[in-house]
Amino acid sequence: MTTLLRRSLAVLAAGLVLAVAPAAAQSAPDSESAQQHSNAQQSSHGGEGDHAEEENTGNPGAVSHSADGNYLNFEPFGIVELPRLFLTNTAGGGIGFEAFGSSKAALKSGEYTLAHPDSAGASLTDTQVQDALASSHHDYLYFTMQKAGAGSILVDFSITRHLVAVFATALLLVILALGVARRYKRGLGREEAPRGTWQNMVEVMIVFMRDEVAKPALGRHYKSYLPYLLTVFFFILIGNLLGLLPWGITATSNIMVTGTLALFTFLITQFSGTAEYWKHTLNPPGVPWFVKPFLVPAEIIGLFTKPLALAFRLFGNMMSGHIVLISMIGLIFIFTAQFGVGIGTGSIIVSVPLTIFMYGIKLAVSFIQAYIFVILSALFIGLAIEEHEDQHDEVDETEAVEAGSRPHDDIDGFMDRSEHFGPQGKRMVSGDGETAPAGQTAISQPAG
Amino acid sequence: MNAAALAYLGAGIGIAGAALGAGIGIGNLAAPAMEGTARQPEAANDIRTSMIISAALIEGVAIIAEIVAILLVFTTG
Repeated sequence: MTTLLRRSLAVLAAGLVLAVAPAAAQSAPDSESAQQHSNAQQSSHGGEGDHAEEENTGNPGAVSHSADGNYLNFEPFGIVELPRLFLTNTAGGGIGFEAFGSSKAALKSGEYTLAHPDSAGASLTDTQVQDALASSHHDYLYFTMQKAGAGSILVDFSITRHLVAVFATALLLVILALGVARRYKRGLGREEAPRGTWQNMVEVMIVFMRDEVAKPALGRHYKSYLPYLLTVFFFILIGNLLGLLPWGITATSNIMVTGTLALFTFLITQFSGTAEYWKHTLNPPGVPWFVKPFLVPAEIIGLFTKPLALAFRLFGNMMSGHIVLISMIGLIFIFTAQFGVGIGTGSIIVSVPLTIFMYGIKLAVSFIQAYIFVILSALFIGLAIEEHEDQHDEVDETEAVEAGSRPHDDIDGFMDRSEHFGPQGKRMVSGDGETAPAGQTAISQPAG
Repeated sequence: MNAAALAYLGAGIGIAGAALGAGIGIGNLAAPAMEGTARQPEAANDIRTSMIISAALIEGVAIIAEIVAILLVFTTG
Protein backbone atom coordinates (compact mmCIF):
# COMPACT_ATOMS: atom_id res chain seq x y z
CA MET A 1 0.00 0.00 0.00
CA THR A 2 2.66 2.48 1.04
CA THR A 3 4.97 1.50 -1.77
CA LEU A 4 2.11 2.05 -4.21
CA LEU A 5 1.53 5.48 -2.69
CA ARG A 6 5.22 6.28 -2.88
CA ARG A 7 5.41 5.21 -6.49
CA SER A 8 2.39 7.22 -7.49
CA LEU A 9 3.84 10.26 -5.71
CA ALA A 10 7.06 9.89 -7.66
CA VAL A 11 5.10 9.64 -10.90
CA LEU A 12 3.12 12.72 -9.91
CA ALA A 13 6.30 14.66 -9.16
CA ALA A 14 7.84 13.63 -12.46
CA GLY A 15 4.68 14.67 -14.25
CA LEU A 16 4.73 18.05 -12.58
CA VAL A 17 8.34 18.62 -13.61
CA LEU A 18 7.53 17.63 -17.17
CA ALA A 19 4.52 19.93 -17.21
CA VAL A 20 6.42 22.89 -15.83
CA ALA A 21 9.56 22.51 -17.95
CA PRO A 22 7.99 23.50 -21.32
CA ALA A 23 6.40 26.52 -19.68
CA ALA A 24 9.80 27.55 -18.38
CA ALA A 25 11.37 26.96 -21.76
CA GLN A 26 8.68 29.11 -23.29
CA SER A 27 9.19 31.89 -20.79
CA ALA A 28 12.96 31.93 -21.26
CA PRO A 29 12.98 33.73 -24.64
CA ASP A 30 10.36 36.07 -23.24
CA SER A 31 12.56 37.17 -20.39
CA GLU A 32 15.50 37.54 -22.77
CA SER A 33 13.60 39.87 -25.00
CA ALA A 34 12.43 41.73 -21.91
CA GLN A 35 16.03 42.19 -20.93
CA GLN A 36 16.88 43.54 -24.35
CA HIS A 37 13.93 45.83 -24.06
CA SER A 38 15.07 47.11 -20.70
CA ASN A 39 18.60 47.57 -22.03
CA ALA A 40 17.25 49.59 -24.92
CA GLN A 41 15.20 51.65 -22.54
CA GLN A 42 18.20 52.14 -20.34
CA SER A 43 20.35 53.47 -23.14
CA SER A 44 17.60 55.77 -24.33
CA HIS A 45 17.11 57.21 -20.87
CA GLY A 46 20.81 57.44 -20.22
CA GLY A 47 21.91 58.25 -16.68
CA GLU A 48 18.53 57.80 -15.08
CA GLY A 49 18.22 54.22 -16.25
CA ASP A 50 21.66 53.42 -14.83
CA HIS A 51 20.67 55.00 -11.59
CA ALA A 52 17.61 52.78 -11.32
CA GLU A 53 19.66 49.72 -12.18
CA GLU A 54 22.51 50.31 -9.75
CA GLU A 55 21.02 51.92 -6.70
CA ASN A 56 17.36 51.00 -6.69
CA THR A 57 17.29 47.34 -7.64
CA GLY A 58 16.36 46.62 -4.04
CA ASN A 59 18.38 43.44 -4.53
CA PRO A 60 18.70 42.00 -1.04
CA GLY A 61 21.48 39.55 -1.93
CA ALA A 62 21.92 36.42 0.14
CA VAL A 63 19.30 37.49 2.67
CA SER A 64 16.50 37.25 0.08
CA HIS A 65 16.89 33.48 0.20
CA SER A 66 15.37 33.37 3.67
CA ALA A 67 13.57 36.72 3.70
CA ASP A 68 9.84 37.08 3.24
CA GLY A 69 8.41 38.10 -0.12
CA ASN A 70 5.34 38.09 -2.34
CA TYR A 71 6.48 35.30 -4.61
CA LEU A 72 7.34 31.62 -4.67
CA ASN A 73 10.77 31.09 -6.12
CA PHE A 74 11.06 28.08 -8.46
CA GLU A 75 13.99 29.79 -10.08
CA PRO A 76 15.15 27.71 -13.01
CA PHE A 77 11.50 27.35 -13.98
CA GLY A 78 10.25 30.77 -13.00
CA ILE A 79 8.63 32.75 -10.24
CA VAL A 80 5.05 32.40 -9.07
CA GLU A 81 3.67 35.68 -7.82
CA LEU A 82 1.27 35.65 -4.91
CA PRO A 83 -1.90 37.73 -4.64
CA ARG A 84 -1.71 41.21 -3.15
CA LEU A 85 -4.49 42.30 -0.82
CA PHE A 86 -4.55 45.87 0.48
CA LEU A 87 -6.76 47.60 3.02
CA THR A 88 -6.46 51.23 1.97
CA ASN A 89 -7.32 54.72 3.06
CA THR A 90 -9.11 56.06 0.01
CA ALA A 91 -8.79 59.62 -1.23
CA GLY A 92 -12.31 60.40 -0.01
CA GLY A 93 -11.39 59.48 3.59
CA GLY A 94 -13.09 56.08 3.61
CA ILE A 95 -11.60 52.63 3.85
CA GLY A 96 -11.33 50.48 0.78
CA PHE A 97 -10.18 46.96 0.02
CA GLU A 98 -8.31 46.11 -3.13
CA ALA A 99 -7.14 42.73 -4.36
CA PHE A 100 -4.77 41.92 -7.21
CA GLY A 101 -3.67 38.59 -8.59
CA SER A 102 0.00 39.56 -8.42
CA SER A 103 2.36 42.44 -7.75
CA LYS A 104 2.69 42.91 -11.50
CA ALA A 105 -1.06 43.31 -11.89
CA ALA A 106 -1.15 45.84 -9.06
CA LEU A 107 1.61 47.87 -10.69
CA LYS A 108 0.12 47.63 -14.17
CA SER A 109 -3.26 48.85 -12.90
CA GLY A 110 -1.55 52.19 -12.26
CA GLU A 111 -3.03 52.48 -8.79
CA TYR A 112 0.12 51.34 -7.06
CA THR A 113 3.74 52.29 -7.37
CA LEU A 114 7.01 51.33 -5.73
CA ALA A 115 8.33 53.13 -2.67
CA HIS A 116 11.77 54.68 -2.89
CA PRO A 117 14.07 52.52 -0.75
CA ASP A 118 16.19 55.40 0.54
CA SER A 119 13.81 58.30 1.21
CA ALA A 120 10.63 57.60 3.16
CA GLY A 121 7.36 58.63 1.53
CA ALA A 122 8.84 59.19 -1.92
CA SER A 123 8.13 56.81 -4.76
CA LEU A 124 10.06 55.78 -7.83
CA THR A 125 9.41 57.59 -11.08
CA ASP A 126 7.26 55.99 -13.76
CA THR A 127 10.25 55.09 -15.92
CA GLN A 128 11.97 53.44 -12.97
CA VAL A 129 8.84 51.40 -12.26
CA GLN A 130 8.64 50.40 -15.93
CA ASP A 131 12.32 49.40 -15.82
CA ALA A 132 11.72 47.27 -12.76
CA LEU A 133 8.69 45.65 -14.39
CA ALA A 134 10.64 44.89 -17.53
CA SER A 135 13.72 43.55 -15.76
CA SER A 136 14.39 39.86 -16.11
CA HIS A 137 15.20 39.58 -12.40
CA HIS A 138 11.71 40.60 -11.27
CA ASP A 139 13.24 43.62 -9.52
CA TYR A 140 9.84 45.05 -8.61
CA LEU A 141 9.25 42.17 -6.18
CA TYR A 142 11.90 43.47 -3.80
CA PHE A 143 10.36 46.92 -3.31
CA THR A 144 7.70 48.02 -0.89
CA MET A 145 4.46 48.97 -2.59
CA GLN A 146 2.82 52.31 -2.25
CA LYS A 147 -0.46 53.81 -3.37
CA ALA A 148 -0.03 55.97 -6.44
CA GLY A 149 -1.67 59.37 -6.08
CA ALA A 150 -4.01 60.08 -3.16
CA GLY A 151 -4.64 57.61 -0.36
CA SER A 152 -2.34 55.19 1.42
CA ILE A 153 -2.10 51.53 2.34
CA LEU A 154 -3.60 50.96 5.78
CA VAL A 155 -2.80 47.27 6.17
CA ASP A 156 -0.98 45.03 3.71
CA PHE A 157 -2.85 41.71 3.90
CA SER A 158 -0.89 40.22 1.01
CA ILE A 159 -0.17 36.52 1.14
CA THR A 160 3.57 36.08 1.51
CA ARG A 161 5.76 33.07 0.92
CA HIS A 162 6.23 32.48 4.64
CA LEU A 163 2.47 32.48 5.07
CA VAL A 164 2.23 29.89 2.32
CA ALA A 165 4.86 27.85 4.17
CA VAL A 166 2.91 28.15 7.43
CA PHE A 167 -0.24 26.90 5.68
CA ALA A 168 1.66 24.07 4.04
CA THR A 169 3.19 23.09 7.39
CA ALA A 170 -0.16 23.18 9.14
CA LEU A 171 -1.84 21.19 6.38
CA LEU A 172 0.93 18.59 6.39
CA LEU A 173 0.77 18.38 10.18
CA VAL A 174 -2.99 17.84 10.17
CA ILE A 175 -2.85 15.19 7.44
CA LEU A 176 0.02 13.27 9.04
CA ALA A 177 -1.25 13.56 12.62
CA LEU A 178 -4.83 12.64 11.78
CA GLY A 179 -3.63 9.63 9.83
CA VAL A 180 -1.71 8.34 12.83
CA ALA A 181 -4.49 9.23 15.25
CA ARG A 182 -6.98 7.23 13.21
CA ARG A 183 -4.68 4.21 13.38
CA TYR A 184 -4.50 4.39 17.17
CA LYS A 185 -8.26 4.82 17.35
CA ARG A 186 -8.65 1.60 15.36
CA GLY A 187 -6.37 -0.10 17.86
CA LEU A 188 -3.35 -0.45 15.62
CA GLY A 189 -0.45 0.49 17.86
CA ARG A 190 -2.31 -0.06 21.12
CA GLU A 191 -3.26 -3.71 20.84
CA GLU A 192 -0.46 -4.61 18.48
CA ALA A 193 2.84 -3.08 17.44
CA PRO A 194 2.71 0.13 15.35
CA ARG A 195 3.23 -0.46 11.66
CA GLY A 196 4.85 1.66 8.99
CA THR A 197 7.65 4.22 9.06
CA TRP A 198 5.64 7.25 9.97
CA GLN A 199 3.70 5.68 12.83
CA ASN A 200 6.85 4.24 14.38
CA MET A 201 8.66 7.54 14.04
CA VAL A 202 5.81 9.51 15.55
CA GLU A 203 5.38 7.08 18.42
CA VAL A 204 9.06 7.35 19.33
CA MET A 205 8.89 11.13 19.36
CA ILE A 206 5.60 11.34 21.24
CA VAL A 207 6.75 8.90 23.92
CA PHE A 208 10.03 10.78 24.23
CA MET A 209 8.19 14.10 24.59
CA ARG A 210 5.86 12.62 27.19
CA ASP A 211 8.42 10.80 29.31
CA GLU A 212 11.51 12.98 28.97
CA VAL A 213 10.03 16.45 28.57
CA ALA A 214 6.48 16.77 29.85
CA LYS A 215 6.54 14.47 32.87
CA PRO A 216 9.75 15.75 34.52
CA ALA A 217 8.92 19.41 33.84
CA LEU A 218 5.21 19.49 34.54
CA GLY A 219 4.73 16.76 37.13
CA ARG A 220 1.25 15.39 37.53
CA HIS A 221 -0.35 18.12 35.39
CA TYR A 222 1.46 16.98 32.29
CA LYS A 223 -1.61 15.63 30.54
CA SER A 224 -3.30 19.00 30.09
CA TYR A 225 -0.22 20.56 28.48
CA LEU A 226 1.00 17.63 26.41
CA PRO A 227 -1.25 18.36 23.38
CA TYR A 228 0.11 21.90 23.11
CA LEU A 229 3.72 20.77 23.49
CA LEU A 230 3.33 18.02 20.89
CA THR A 231 1.58 20.32 18.42
CA VAL A 232 4.30 22.94 18.73
CA PHE A 233 7.02 20.31 18.46
CA PHE A 234 5.68 18.79 15.27
CA PHE A 235 4.79 22.17 13.78
CA ILE A 236 8.31 23.50 14.31
CA LEU A 237 9.86 20.23 13.16
CA ILE A 238 7.85 20.06 9.93
CA GLY A 239 8.38 23.78 9.36
CA ASN A 240 12.14 23.39 9.77
CA LEU A 241 12.33 20.33 7.54
CA LEU A 242 10.21 21.93 4.78
CA GLY A 243 12.92 24.54 4.38
CA LEU A 244 15.47 21.84 3.59
CA LEU A 245 13.57 20.60 0.54
CA PRO A 246 14.42 21.98 -2.90
CA TRP A 247 12.54 25.28 -3.37
CA GLY A 248 11.42 24.88 0.20
CA ILE A 249 10.51 27.81 2.38
CA THR A 250 11.29 27.85 6.10
CA ALA A 251 8.35 29.37 7.91
CA THR A 252 10.33 29.30 11.16
CA SER A 253 12.94 31.67 9.73
CA ASN A 254 10.37 34.44 10.11
CA ILE A 255 10.40 36.27 13.43
CA MET A 256 6.62 36.72 13.25
CA VAL A 257 6.01 32.97 13.12
CA THR A 258 8.38 32.15 15.97
CA GLY A 259 7.11 35.18 17.88
CA THR A 260 3.55 33.90 17.61
CA LEU A 261 4.59 30.46 18.85
CA ALA A 262 6.44 32.07 21.76
CA LEU A 263 3.40 34.24 22.46
CA PHE A 264 1.30 31.10 22.90
CA THR A 265 3.82 29.76 25.41
CA PHE A 266 3.83 33.13 27.18
CA LEU A 267 0.03 33.26 27.44
CA ILE A 268 -0.27 29.65 28.60
CA THR A 269 2.45 30.24 31.19
CA GLN A 270 0.81 33.37 32.59
CA PHE A 271 -2.75 32.05 32.56
CA SER A 272 -1.85 28.75 34.21
CA GLY A 273 0.33 30.45 36.83
CA THR A 274 -0.66 29.68 40.40
CA ALA A 275 -1.12 32.31 43.11
CA GLU A 276 2.19 31.09 44.49
CA TYR A 277 3.88 31.89 41.18
CA TRP A 278 2.56 35.45 41.13
CA LYS A 279 3.54 35.91 44.78
CA HIS A 280 7.09 34.79 44.02
CA THR A 281 7.20 37.15 41.05
CA LEU A 282 5.61 40.28 42.51
CA ASN A 283 6.47 39.94 46.19
CA PRO A 284 9.20 37.34 46.64
CA PRO A 285 9.14 35.88 50.15
CA GLY A 286 12.31 35.63 52.20
CA VAL A 287 13.94 38.60 50.49
CA PRO A 288 15.08 41.72 52.41
CA TRP A 289 12.82 44.72 51.74
CA PHE A 290 15.59 46.86 50.22
CA VAL A 291 16.34 44.26 47.57
CA LYS A 292 12.74 44.06 46.39
CA PRO A 293 12.70 47.35 44.39
CA PHE A 294 15.48 45.85 42.24
CA LEU A 295 14.35 42.25 42.24
CA VAL A 296 10.69 42.72 41.33
CA PRO A 297 11.30 44.75 38.13
CA ALA A 298 13.93 42.23 37.12
CA GLU A 299 11.41 39.43 37.67
CA ILE A 300 8.78 41.26 35.62
CA ILE A 301 11.24 41.89 32.78
CA GLY A 302 12.18 38.22 33.04
CA LEU A 303 8.58 37.27 32.29
CA PHE A 304 8.92 38.87 28.86
CA THR A 305 12.53 38.10 28.01
CA LYS A 306 12.02 34.36 28.35
CA PRO A 307 9.52 34.01 25.47
CA LEU A 308 11.41 36.69 23.53
CA ALA A 309 14.58 34.64 23.75
CA LEU A 310 12.53 31.59 22.75
CA ALA A 311 11.37 33.35 19.59
CA PHE A 312 14.77 34.79 18.70
CA ARG A 313 16.60 31.51 19.30
CA LEU A 314 14.49 29.61 16.78
CA PHE A 315 14.44 32.50 14.30
CA GLY A 316 18.18 33.10 14.54
CA ASN A 317 19.09 29.45 14.18
CA MET A 318 16.87 28.90 11.17
CA MET A 319 17.72 32.10 9.33
CA SER A 320 21.47 31.98 9.93
CA GLY A 321 21.62 28.37 8.79
CA HIS A 322 20.01 29.21 5.47
CA ILE A 323 22.19 32.25 4.93
CA VAL A 324 25.29 30.17 5.64
CA LEU A 325 24.11 27.56 3.11
CA ILE A 326 23.54 30.10 0.35
CA SER A 327 26.80 31.86 1.19
CA MET A 328 28.78 28.65 0.84
CA ILE A 329 27.23 27.89 -2.53
CA GLY A 330 27.71 31.55 -3.41
CA LEU A 331 31.46 31.23 -2.84
CA ILE A 332 31.67 29.45 -6.21
CA PHE A 333 30.20 32.45 -8.00
CA ILE A 334 32.21 34.97 -5.99
CA PHE A 335 35.44 33.18 -6.90
CA THR A 336 34.33 32.93 -10.53
CA ALA A 337 33.66 36.66 -10.67
CA GLN A 338 36.90 37.56 -8.89
CA PHE A 339 39.48 35.14 -10.27
CA GLY A 340 37.94 33.59 -13.36
CA VAL A 341 36.23 30.36 -14.30
CA GLY A 342 39.17 28.06 -13.46
CA ILE A 343 39.46 28.98 -9.81
CA GLY A 344 35.69 29.28 -9.57
CA THR A 345 35.28 25.69 -10.77
CA GLY A 346 38.06 24.58 -8.43
CA SER A 347 36.31 26.12 -5.46
CA ILE A 348 33.48 23.61 -5.98
CA ILE A 349 35.77 21.02 -4.37
CA VAL A 350 35.70 23.04 -1.14
CA SER A 351 32.32 24.65 -1.40
CA VAL A 352 30.05 21.71 -2.09
CA PRO A 353 31.32 19.40 0.70
CA LEU A 354 31.08 22.32 3.12
CA THR A 355 27.51 22.91 2.01
CA ILE A 356 26.60 19.25 2.41
CA PHE A 357 28.18 19.28 5.87
CA MET A 358 26.17 22.37 6.84
CA TYR A 359 23.06 20.75 5.41
CA GLY A 360 23.60 17.79 7.71
CA ILE A 361 24.07 20.14 10.64
CA LYS A 362 20.87 21.94 9.70
CA LEU A 363 19.05 18.62 9.61
CA ALA A 364 20.17 17.98 13.18
CA VAL A 365 19.44 21.57 14.19
CA SER A 366 15.87 21.19 12.89
CA PHE A 367 15.25 18.48 15.46
CA ILE A 368 17.30 20.07 18.24
CA GLN A 369 15.64 23.47 17.97
CA ALA A 370 12.15 21.97 17.96
CA TYR A 371 13.12 19.95 21.04
CA ILE A 372 14.66 22.96 22.79
CA PHE A 373 11.65 25.15 22.07
CA VAL A 374 9.36 22.52 23.55
CA ILE A 375 11.47 21.67 26.59
CA LEU A 376 11.88 25.34 27.46
CA SER A 377 8.15 25.92 27.02
CA ALA A 378 7.49 22.96 29.30
CA LEU A 379 9.97 24.26 31.87
CA PHE A 380 8.46 27.76 31.87
CA ILE A 381 4.96 26.35 32.29
CA GLY A 382 6.28 23.95 34.91
CA LEU A 383 7.79 26.80 36.91
CA ALA A 384 4.46 28.61 36.81
CA ILE A 385 2.31 25.69 37.95
CA GLU A 386 4.76 24.31 40.50
CA GLU A 387 3.41 24.07 44.04
CA HIS A 388 5.84 25.93 46.27
CA GLU A 389 5.58 24.21 49.61
CA ASP A 390 8.66 25.52 51.37
CA GLN A 391 8.28 23.36 54.47
CA HIS A 392 7.75 20.32 52.33
CA ASP A 393 10.73 21.06 50.13
CA GLU A 394 13.19 20.94 53.02
CA VAL A 395 11.92 17.55 54.11
CA ASP A 396 12.22 16.35 50.55
CA GLU A 397 15.78 17.56 50.31
CA THR A 398 16.94 15.74 53.44
CA GLU A 399 15.17 12.64 52.24
CA ALA A 400 16.84 13.00 48.88
CA VAL A 401 20.25 13.27 50.52
CA GLU A 402 19.64 10.13 52.52
CA ALA A 403 18.22 8.29 49.56
CA GLY A 404 21.05 9.48 47.36
CA SER A 405 23.69 7.80 49.47
CA ARG A 406 24.10 5.03 46.94
CA PRO A 407 25.66 7.22 44.22
CA HIS A 408 28.04 8.61 46.85
CA ASP A 409 29.09 5.09 47.68
CA ASP A 410 29.79 4.54 44.04
CA ILE A 411 32.03 7.58 43.95
CA ASP A 412 33.81 6.48 47.11
CA GLY A 413 34.35 3.11 45.56
CA PHE A 414 35.76 4.79 42.51
CA MET A 415 38.12 6.91 44.62
CA ASP A 416 39.24 3.87 46.56
CA ARG A 417 39.98 2.10 43.37
CA SER A 418 42.08 4.94 42.03
CA GLU A 419 44.02 5.08 45.29
CA HIS A 420 44.80 1.43 44.92
CA PHE A 421 45.85 1.97 41.34
CA GLY A 422 48.25 4.75 42.32
CA PRO A 423 51.03 3.14 44.37
CA GLN A 424 50.91 -0.17 42.57
CA GLY A 425 51.31 1.48 39.19
CA LYS A 426 49.26 -1.26 37.53
CA ARG A 427 45.82 -2.80 37.71
CA MET A 428 45.12 -4.95 40.74
CA VAL A 429 42.36 -6.75 38.88
CA SER A 430 44.19 -9.15 36.67
CA GLY A 431 41.51 -11.32 35.08
CA ASP A 432 38.24 -9.74 33.99
CA GLY A 433 38.82 -6.02 33.90
CA GLU A 434 35.64 -5.35 31.95
CA THR A 435 33.32 -6.08 34.87
CA ALA A 436 33.78 -3.08 37.09
CA PRO A 437 31.57 -4.17 40.02
CA ALA A 438 33.37 -7.47 40.30
CA GLY A 439 36.68 -5.65 40.10
CA GLN A 440 35.63 -3.41 42.95
CA THR A 441 35.23 -6.30 45.35
CA ALA A 442 38.51 -7.74 44.23
CA ILE A 443 40.22 -4.44 44.96
CA SER A 444 38.85 -4.16 48.49
CA GLN A 445 40.48 -7.45 49.42
CA PRO A 446 44.10 -6.29 49.67
CA ALA A 447 42.99 -3.19 51.61
CA GLY A 448 41.14 -5.29 54.21
CA MET B 1 34.38 56.04 6.82
CA ASN B 2 30.72 56.92 6.99
CA ALA B 3 28.14 56.05 9.64
CA ALA B 4 26.72 53.02 7.83
CA ALA B 5 30.16 51.47 7.40
CA LEU B 6 30.90 52.01 11.08
CA ALA B 7 27.59 50.40 11.98
CA TYR B 8 28.34 47.33 9.85
CA LEU B 9 31.80 47.10 11.38
CA GLY B 10 30.37 47.45 14.87
CA ALA B 11 27.74 44.79 14.21
CA GLY B 12 30.34 42.40 12.86
CA ILE B 13 32.78 42.87 15.73
CA GLY B 14 29.98 42.81 18.27
CA ILE B 15 28.45 39.57 17.03
CA ALA B 16 31.92 38.01 16.90
CA GLY B 17 32.49 38.89 20.55
CA ALA B 18 29.08 37.57 21.51
CA ALA B 19 29.68 34.33 19.63
CA LEU B 20 33.07 33.97 21.34
CA GLY B 21 31.56 34.53 24.77
CA ALA B 22 28.63 32.20 24.17
CA GLY B 23 30.96 29.55 22.76
CA ILE B 24 33.20 29.66 25.82
CA GLY B 25 30.15 29.66 28.07
CA ILE B 26 28.46 26.70 26.42
CA GLY B 27 31.76 24.85 26.24
CA ASN B 28 32.33 25.37 29.95
CA LEU B 29 28.81 24.18 30.59
CA ALA B 30 28.74 21.14 28.30
CA ALA B 31 32.07 19.59 29.29
CA PRO B 32 31.23 19.04 32.98
CA ALA B 33 27.71 17.98 32.02
CA MET B 34 29.18 15.31 29.73
CA GLU B 35 31.57 14.21 32.46
CA GLY B 36 28.75 14.07 34.94
CA THR B 37 26.60 12.03 32.59
CA ALA B 38 29.44 9.63 31.91
CA ARG B 39 30.19 9.19 35.59
CA GLN B 40 26.57 8.86 36.62
CA PRO B 41 24.41 7.78 33.67
CA GLU B 42 21.35 7.40 35.90
CA ALA B 43 21.39 11.18 36.51
CA ALA B 44 21.51 11.92 32.76
CA ASN B 45 17.96 13.29 32.61
CA ASP B 46 18.41 15.76 35.47
CA ILE B 47 21.77 16.88 34.14
CA ARG B 48 20.37 17.34 30.64
CA THR B 49 17.44 19.42 31.87
CA SER B 50 19.50 21.77 33.98
CA MET B 51 22.13 21.96 31.24
CA ILE B 52 19.51 23.07 28.73
CA ILE B 53 18.18 25.72 31.12
CA SER B 54 21.67 27.12 31.65
CA ALA B 55 22.47 26.89 27.96
CA ALA B 56 19.29 28.81 27.21
CA LEU B 57 20.32 31.55 29.65
CA ILE B 58 23.80 31.78 28.15
CA GLU B 59 22.36 31.78 24.65
CA GLY B 60 19.92 34.47 25.71
CA VAL B 61 22.78 36.92 26.17
CA ALA B 62 24.14 36.02 22.74
CA ILE B 63 20.66 36.50 21.29
CA ILE B 64 20.44 39.99 22.81
CA ALA B 65 23.75 40.76 21.09
CA GLU B 66 22.31 39.36 17.88
CA ILE B 67 19.28 41.67 18.15
CA VAL B 68 21.57 44.66 18.69
CA ALA B 69 23.61 43.66 15.64
CA ILE B 70 20.46 43.25 13.54
CA LEU B 71 19.23 46.66 14.66
CA LEU B 72 22.61 48.19 13.79
CA VAL B 73 22.55 46.69 10.32
CA PHE B 74 18.94 47.36 9.41
CA THR B 75 18.43 50.82 10.90
CA THR B 76 21.49 52.32 9.24
CA GLY B 77 21.56 50.30 6.02
